[in-house]
Amino acid sequence: MDDVPQNLTNAAETTGEVDDKWVSSSCSLCYASCSIKAHRVNGTVIKIEGNPESAVGKGRLCGKGVSGIMSHYDPNRLNKPMKRTNPEKGKGVDPMWEEISWDEALDTVAGKLKALREDDPRKLLIMRTTTVMTQHIPPFAFMSAFGTPNASAAGGGLHCGNGAHLISGIMHSSWSIVPDFQYCNYAVYFGASKGHAAGHASCSNMTMAADARARGMKMVVVDPFANQAGANSTEWVPIRVGTDAGLALAMANVLVNELEMYDVAYLKAKTNMPYLIGNDTRYIRDSETNKPMVWDSATSQACTFDKTDSADMAIEGTYMVDGKQCRPGFVLMKEHLKTYTVERGEEITTIPAENIRRIATEFAEEARIGSTIVIDGVTVPYRPVAAIAFRGSQGHKNSTYNMLSVDLLNHLVGAADVAGGCLGFNPACDGYPETGRLKYIPHPDPDGLMITGSWMGPHGPYPIGDPAPPERVGLQNLFPMAMGSVFQGSTDQEEMWEKFDFDYRPEFLLNLGANQIMSVGNSDAVEASLKKFKFIVSFDIFATETTEFADIVFPDCGYLETTDSRSNFPFIFSLPAGLGEWCWPIRQEVVEPEGERRLFADVLQELGDRIGITPDLNAAYNAWFELEGENRLKPDRKYTFAEIGDHDLKDKFGPDKGLDYFKEHGLVKWPKKPNEVYWRAFTDVRVPLYWEWMNDTWEKTMAIAEPKGLDIPKEYYSPLPDWLPCPSHECDHEDFDFYAFYYRDIVHTNSLTMENAWLDEAAQLDPYSYNIAINASVGREKGLQSGDLISVENEHGHKVEGRARLTETIHPEGLGIGACAGHWARRMPTAKGKGVFFNDLVELDWHHSSPSNLTVDLCAKVKVTKLEAAQ
Amino acid sequence: MTSTNSGRYEQLIKDYQTEYRPQREWSEGRGFFLILGHFLVGVAAGAWLFGLFFQDKISLLAGFVLAGLGGLAHLANLARPERFILMMLRTATSWVSRGFWGLTLFLIGSVIYLPSLMFSDTFWQSDSVIADVGVVFSIAGSIIMMAYMGFVYTASKAIAFWNSTLHPVLYISYALRGGAAAHLLSLAFQGEAVSGGSDILIFWIAVTVTVIVLWIFEIQGALTSGEEAAVHSVHDILAGRLALYFYVGILLIGLFVPVFLMAGIIAPLSPTLFALIGLTSVAGDFFMKFSSIKAGVFSPVRLYSGNNRRATRRRKI
Amino acid sequence: MRWGMVIDLKRCIGCYGCQLSCKAENGTPPGVFFARVHKQEEGQYPTAQTTFLPVLCNHCDDPPCVDVCPTGASFVWEDDGIVDIDADKCVGCRSCMMACPYSQRFLNDDPQNYYGDQGATPYEQARVERHQTGVVMKCNFCRDRVRNGQDPACVENCPTIARYFGDLDNPNSEVSRLIRERSGFPLHPEKGTNPNVYYLPA
Ligand SMILES: Nc1nc2c(c(=O)[nH]1)N[C@H]1C(S)=C(S)[C@@H](COP(=O)(O)OP(=O)(O)OC[C@H]3O[C@@H](n4cnc5c(=O)[nH]c(N)nc54)[C@H](O)[C@@H]3O)O[C@H]1N2
Ligand SMILES: Nc1nc2c(c(=O)[nH]1)N[C@H]1C(S)=C(S)[C@@H](COP(=O)(O)OP(=O)(O)OC[C@H]3O[C@@H](n4cnc5c(=O)[nH]c(N)nc54)[C@H](O)[C@@H]3O)O[C@H]1N2
Ligand code: SF4
Ligand code: SF4
Ligand code: SF4
Ligand code: SF4
Ligand code: SF4
Ligand SMILES: [Mo]
Repeated sequence: MDDVPQNLTNAAETTGEVDDKWVSSSCSLCYASCSIKAHRVNGTVIKIEGNPESAVGKGRLCGKGVSGIMSHYDPNRLNKPMKRTNPEKGKGVDPMWEEISWDEALDTVAGKLKALREDDPRKLLIMRTTTVMTQHIPPFAFMSAFGTPNASAAGGGLHCGNGAHLISGIMHSSWSIVPDFQYCNYAVYFGASKGHAAGHASCSNMTMAADARARGMKMVVVDPFANQAGANSTEWVPIRVGTDAGLALAMANVLVNELEMYDVAYLKAKTNMPYLIGNDTRYIRDSETNKPMVWDSATSQACTFDKTDSADMAIEGTYMVDGKQCRPGFVLMKEHLKTYTVERGEEITTIPAENIRRIATEFAEEARIGSTIVIDGVTVPYRPVAAIAFRGSQGHKNSTYNMLSVDLLNHLVGAADVAGGCLGFNPACDGYPETGRLKYIPHPDPDGLMITGSWMGPHGPYPIGDPAPPERVGLQNLFPMAMGSVFQGSTDQEEMWEKFDFDYRPEFLLNLGANQIMSVGNSDAVEASLKKFKFIVSFDIFATETTEFADIVFPDCGYLETTDSRSNFPFIFSLPAGLGEWCWPIRQEVVEPEGERRLFADVLQELGDRIGITPDLNAAYNAWFELEGENRLKPDRKYTFAEIGDHDLKDKFGPDKGLDYFKEHGLVKWPKKPNEVYWRAFTDVRVPLYWEWMNDTWEKTMAIAEPKGLDIPKEYYSPLPDWLPCPSHECDHEDFDFYAFYYRDIVHTNSLTMENAWLDEAAQLDPYSYNIAINASVGREKGLQSGDLISVENEHGHKVEGRARLTETIHPEGLGIGACAGHWARRMPTAKGKGVFFNDLVELDWHHSSPSNLTVDLCAKVKVTKLEAAQ
Repeated sequence: MTSTNSGRYEQLIKDYQTEYRPQREWSEGRGFFLILGHFLVGVAAGAWLFGLFFQDKISLLAGFVLAGLGGLAHLANLARPERFILMMLRTATSWVSRGFWGLTLFLIGSVIYLPSLMFSDTFWQSDSVIADVGVVFSIAGSIIMMAYMGFVYTASKAIAFWNSTLHPVLYISYALRGGAAAHLLSLAFQGEAVSGGSDILIFWIAVTVTVIVLWIFEIQGALTSGEEAAVHSVHDILAGRLALYFYVGILLIGLFVPVFLMAGIIAPLSPTLFALIGLTSVAGDFFMKFSSIKAGVFSPVRLYSGNNRRATRRRKI
Repeated sequence: MRWGMVIDLKRCIGCYGCQLSCKAENGTPPGVFFARVHKQEEGQYPTAQTTFLPVLCNHCDDPPCVDVCPTGASFVWEDDGIVDIDADKCVGCRSCMMACPYSQRFLNDDPQNYYGDQGATPYEQARVERHQTGVVMKCNFCRDRVRNGQDPACVENCPTIARYFGDLDNPNSEVSRLIRERSGFPLHPEKGTNPNVYYLPA
């Protein structure tokens, strides 16, 4: 190399050797964790490329991935533990950091944790960022070992999130859904940029989506804004923000009641549509086995669902069973959908009725109901259509139903996890051939409904647990469909805790990267919730806005300084779906940690040791990593995270494939089989299109909530999905004529990358990234032009400012703001003041969140005022 | 040291955010010296030619000095001035290279010729062969100097406003107007009477009219060229960021004031007025060059242009 | 042998991967972009459309940038048609910047770094500081990589496989075939530069 830096920084200097190595690892600029190769020359990382060996990214990286070098070498990164010397906390208040030794920092924190654990372990709240995949398991392990029920991702509210993962889990046994890019011919995107800017397996999907478009896949993008997925679409369908269920249900109505095009065989065999429903909205259950019953049209009598051929199950008609009048779920579905005429759809969504009908018809026709295809010698059902949704459509008060309504379309035509259809991310795996480990597959519960084979958290999405008096700070016990919760930072959290007689308050926040004051909602609310903690410890790589509230800051290792045995597992998260390869890459240290940085997972081990919970921690890791036999951790030893990783790898891939093997080879991969990818046809499970438990769940929730004075609106708990308005749809203040929403910018990940100088530069050059997108004609009518400084205010007086960008590619009622921008932290100079801080428009309280899954509603009705003309 | 927090960088990023990015390389920072250099060598060439024609030593001397300064300004425009000698290498295609030769020829010629005029007893006579060679060199050099600038701009394909083929003619006219002005100044300096200047005044008027006509053609050409960037430049001059230079610098100072003075409205034409006319005329020329160089706006890169017409990708709803 | 590139607009999603992988490969200073991505809107709501237009040096057959260069610093490699700059010869006159109709040339003015007063990062010390200052820079089709048998960085990295690189003199190369079969066209043919970067319609 002719460009070896002069100042050799490592051992090579003394030995005279030139250090020049490509190290296989994983990106961490977003959770897709694409496989990388980092080029290190004399201790300096000089290039990051994709790893072509890997199925994750296949050697290609998005712009953020190749820019990781700049985040790594940012001079603003934290290098030493610090404590605050200014006791006053608040947004923008200088903590007056003082650098301290690791010993002092660890002593202080361990001392506090020990006392806290003796007092009441529930007082510990563990928060982690969703952006960094390494931080998936260690926080959970620490949580279980410590004995607190309180752990959450990214501040709660889970924008990504609560609805999408719940429905993807219940219906596809996976964290999320995506079109089968290899075979799909017609994909309808409801507020998701998968394959075009964001989402799971983000970069891998970009390649696959491009292949699909080149192959001729039509892409209909339902989105208020067409700057990303919409720009690549065959048809952009601008929609009023937050109304996706209105469109999806109207389309479902066209399929079922107008066209009568639906997959009868699928509905009978793979859903609970044949299950008989009594007038009490519950299943008719067999008195002996308690199993749901169906009407067997061959014998003209009712029997339990597992006692007859699904082809013989009736999905039409009215029957009398045990003296009770009942109908198959499908009859109720059909009746229900009749109320969603295309005209009503138009009223809700602003999409012309004719377009709704046409798109539904195209979807139905392209579905080729009944067809099969032979792939690698295996015959599988072929339904080359998919309806996909993610953050955009489900980040609303009606989160659960918005997502369910969209997915309903897939199930009506039998396009779920079959060739060409809507796929979960790898819900079934036959395991690593050489060891048989990693085998998982969805399986039925006693009602025949699907339980996931693999999941991200302690318990799966289904069966829905029983509501219980809340104990977790986010009240999730009472709302069993919630993963994250608005109450972690809401204005009414104290009111809720009081209502439900909480006998403790969270006192200690252990923050692992999450920048919740920026990522959750309006910063006043989150600020107030942060101020309530008696002690905050933050593991971070930057002194972010949230970290400015910490009492002690631990400088964490960045991804190029981290070793993690499962950068890409569970497979249901960011391993590309569809045919291809199973691939297990790792993340490994490319360079030694700079300064005094230490890997947070190792620090958690150290803290565990100091407070005497090492055996509990090891037990937790054994459970979380599902370690078996001799690979289980011994109770009393203090392991490093890398050692635990070594156990994990040997456990899954055999004794010869420990960390050393992976460090050298980077990954292990093996081919996927059609029966794994298109598992649905080969797996005897059903999914609920009729959510029978909803009424029970509501009643049980009300039984606890009502006496405490909390009313749970019943319409959010009915067995069939509905369109229900967001608070923004009910705002009728004058001049509040835009629906503000945010979207992910392709060059930024949440709030993390804003400090990356290369990405910031690219975003500055992008016409939209840092500006407020407004429809051109509407803007002009209001006397606005691109570049004008405007104020955007919600009906509760929360305001943000930014420069307007007039565009023809946005819905006239929409106002789009990119990324999670607008940093104000003093130690993030590149990020500071860039872009627009959307989240200040997001209200955090019960009224503005989903009454079924506690997702924060992300849209706001806003008023726009011009502050200053463009220069 | 320039870095991401420098004003220059911020300006650059701001420029890239706009569709019609103004060129700054040849007008701001060290780029200002290019305008200055072009201005100086233009006047120098004109002054020299007038000086020769009228055998006016002061004009000749002024031409020489201005050309020297212009040369230095040219060097100051370079980011790597120490390598200037390499600029002689590409006369086959590069007008900058040719201009460089022009200036060199001129300087050599004038260095040869001037001593014969000034110190004819020490050196050679002004009618000697040596002096003649100097004259030939210097005339050739002047002509190249006058012409090359316009061609430099015409060859700048990125800047639609400069692409006009009128540019070289316009620059030659500027040089002549500059020469006339220099001569006027020289006359004023020598205290010459009105009568002695009437020829040159008539010439000044003629060349000024030519400049105006050419300039109007150029603006007209820019407006009808079909190049939005050129239209943008014209807008910048007439009603945008450069309007002040245009109305005050070019029209008022460069045109109205000298014409007003010339018409003898204020006072009979005295040497002082001569000097004023010369100065304002030259200042006007400076503003003319300054604003038309500064008005350069890069043409945006578009997917479909000319014969490339797009087919609609998306179905009409 | 004439290297050329084809960019498939049907595949490109405007991810800036080319712009940034080029930056990483070449260590270009702030404000210097050998590869860039433009976003351009056309039409009116609701059928309006944003086009992603990735650009780079077109390695023109008739490069005005080379014609105007007084020193010969800008030149064309005879063996492969790549338009390149010999930094040792450049005087920084910027004539070429005014001549390139595609805005593909950049002056590396002073020593620059991305984190301002905080100084150059180790990466920048290794990769950015090796570039001469006071000279003009541009894309050279990653000539070192190409001569090593690799694709240019932006081609190898493009997440949508929208970029193809190959020999335009060879009618059977993938690039020639794509141009032929999908009616590839260059940018601004009216400028008479005869570019070697072609675009496939979306
Ligand atoms: N306006 C707006 N708000 C949003 C979103 C949006 O797109 N726009 N997205 C929403 C969604 S879906 C989510 S999931 C959340 C995400 O919200 P967060 O989980 O808070 O994610 P980030 O905002 O990326 O902040 C992550 C922080 O983690 C730190 N970090 C990064 N790498 C490491 C590491 O290796 N170790 C440690 N200890 N820390 C690290 C960085 O300081 C970074 O600021 O935001 C939500 N909020
Ligand atoms: N580049 C990038 N990639 C990322 C991330 C990132 O920050 N940047 N974050 C990661 C994370 S944490 C997540 S959760 C995923 C999220 O991935 P996505 O869900 O794909 O991300 P978004 O861009 O937030 O939402 C998708 C689209 O929804 C639209 N939208 C907003 N409101 C509505 C609505 O009411 N209805 C409809 N139909 N559309 C609407 C937006 O305009 C946007 O185009 O991405 C992950 N990948
Ligand atoms: S998609 Fe995410 S993980 Fe993959 S390269 Fe981009 S930032 Fe890195
Ligand atoms: S990397 Fe590829 S997809 Fe991304 S902007 Fe460049 S050409 Fe387009
Ligand atoms: S694109 Fe510009 S820089 Fe590249 S060869 Fe053509 S004219 Fe020269
Ligand atoms: S700046 Fe350098 S490369 Fe460009 S024209 Fe001048 S000498 Fe040639
Ligand atoms: S070919 Fe190389 S230098 Fe040119 S744009 Fe691509 S990455 Fe940059
Ligand atoms: Mo997320």
